Amino acid sequence: MKTRWFALPAVVMTAVLAVTWIGCTDREPSPAPATRLAEPSDVIDENLMISLLQAKNFHRKAKVYMSDGNLVAATASVRQILSLQFPKGAPEADDVRLDARALLAKLLVGQGQLEEAMRTVDEGIASSQRESFFVANLYSVQGEIHQARAAQLEGEAAKEEKRLAIASYDKSIAINERLQKQLMEEK
Amino acid sequence: MAHDDDILTGPVPAPDDEPTAAERAHAKTFADLVDKALVGRPPAAMSADDRALLEVATVIRASHGAVELSASKQRSIVEDALRQAVGEGAAAGGVTPISQARRARWAPWAIAGASMAIAAAAVALLALRVPKSASRAPEVGAVTKTPTTWTSRPADPLIGPIAREAADQASARIDYIFADRLDGYRERRLSRGGTR
Repeated sequence: MKTRWFALPAVVMTAVLAVTWIGCTDREPSPAPATRLAEPSDVIDENLMISLLQAKNFHRKAKVYMSDGNLVAATASVRQILSLQFPKGAPEADDVRLDARALLAKLLVGQGQLEEAMRTVDEGIASSQRESFFVANLYSVQGEIHQARAAQLEGEAAKEEKRLAIASYDKSIAINERLQKQLMEEK
Repeated sequence: MAHDDDILTGPVPAPDDEPTAAERAHAKTFADLVDKALVGRPPAAMSADDRALLEVATVIRASHGAVELSASKQRSIVEDALRQAVGEGAAAGGVTPISQARRARWAPWAIAGASMAIAAAAVALLALRVPKSASRAPEVGAVTKTPTTWTSRPADPLIGPIAREAADQASARIDYIFADRLDGYRERRLSRGGTR
């Protein structure tokens, strides 16, 4: 009889210790992963890679034409890059198209189509969503077009084109400086 | 040494009769026997008559209040009686003080009560305990950041400033951009961030 009476507290104490241990055990969930599953809208997906690959192929094709001196075909090939479909909101789309416009403008300048070249550059600058090294490059090409115009003009008109060329180069320089400073601060 | 005789069964002498020598010797022997019994040293064996007389003498002495038990004996008897009264048997050996017996009886209940109190405290602790994760502000930036190499992003850090001499080298730049994004695309697809 006495043994049973003393067994009851022992059983209770064991249960208490077990409950207390469970209560004190850290039940905090395992830490969340340092990364989350990437959202489809902002990750590199198949569509973006296909678009980049298409742009790359058109550049290769244009390069072949240029190596043969076929600037018209090269221009047509580069122009097709401008109509490529990129994923909506992909920053690479803006960069690739602006770079294509820079090359396209240079090709047009090489063919003496200064007005078409300037239109190509102006449309690119106007459509840009943000400042970038590609926009700065477009301003550089714009400056070259103004220089080409100035070479064809005389007097005040030539001076005006040279002034515009300097202004374009200054814009290009200013953009490059801001972006470089920004990138240095981010590192 | 006592021995059986006819003292109890023999004729009763007259009150004024002088005691005989045998009676005196027997009285002296019985007196010694009573004295020894009173001091707790009764003989190992005695005659049935002597034993009966001794018991009568003891009862007569006790009835006159001349006999007192020792304190320990009194306590032992009382405690045995009380223990029987509360449902326990008499002590098998030795005398256990009532105070100790009371402690022994209440000790299991005291331990069980204390255990219950601790259990209640543990349950209360579990109920009131706030998980660390709930009390901690989420560190959104550190937790939800997607690896940069997996994302679609501006190519400026990759390309850098474009020199005037390289203004028309878009073909080289698209190769560079494509290779970089292909690395990120493969990395994401081969990791758990992939969709397949």
